[in-house]
Amino acid sequence: MENGAAREGGDPSGFLSEIIGAPVVVKLNSGVIYKGELQSVDGYMNIALEKTEEFVDGVKRRAYGDAFIRGNNVMYIAAED
Amino acid sequence: MASQILPLELIDKCIGSRIWVIMKSDTEFTGTLLGFDDYVNMVLEDVTEFDYTGTNTKRKRILLNGNNVCMLVPGGSGPVTEASS
Repeated sequence: MENGAAREGGDPSGFLSEIIGAPVVVKLNSGVIYKGELQSVDGYMNIALEKTEEFVDGVKRRAYGDAFIRGNNVMYIAAED
Repeated sequence: MASQILPLELIDKCIGSRIWVIMKSDTEFTGTLLGFDDYVNMVLEDVTEFDYTGTNTKRKRILLNGNNVCMLVPGGSGPVTEASS
């Protein structure tokens, strides 16, 4: 950022390509949280997750091997630290 | 009239600094703005999420969907410090 160049992963598409394959937290507008490995995302923020765990009010409810989340429900995608 | 600053130019000036994001719902975020796109989807770093329950959740880096964003406050330090000041 010092030389005025955009930082790696700075803009949304750069960030997404950087976190593909990484463990992520996806929060929906309903408040439900999905944790899993990010398999892919598209421009609608449709998301494919692997090894998915579902949390409702912080309590684990279900697990899915593979899950597709429709993008309109997504509030944010966080890279798990 | 040559010096009008467009709304998105204002947000562009905020890249690299702290920003306070207020959603349409009760959720609010503060974090360092790393970037955004035409839909005002935003990449934020060192994020605190403020829940309507008063819960604060820390996240290192998030991509926030612009669809449910209501307001952006440049340099805003969030609802907690605002209330305590």
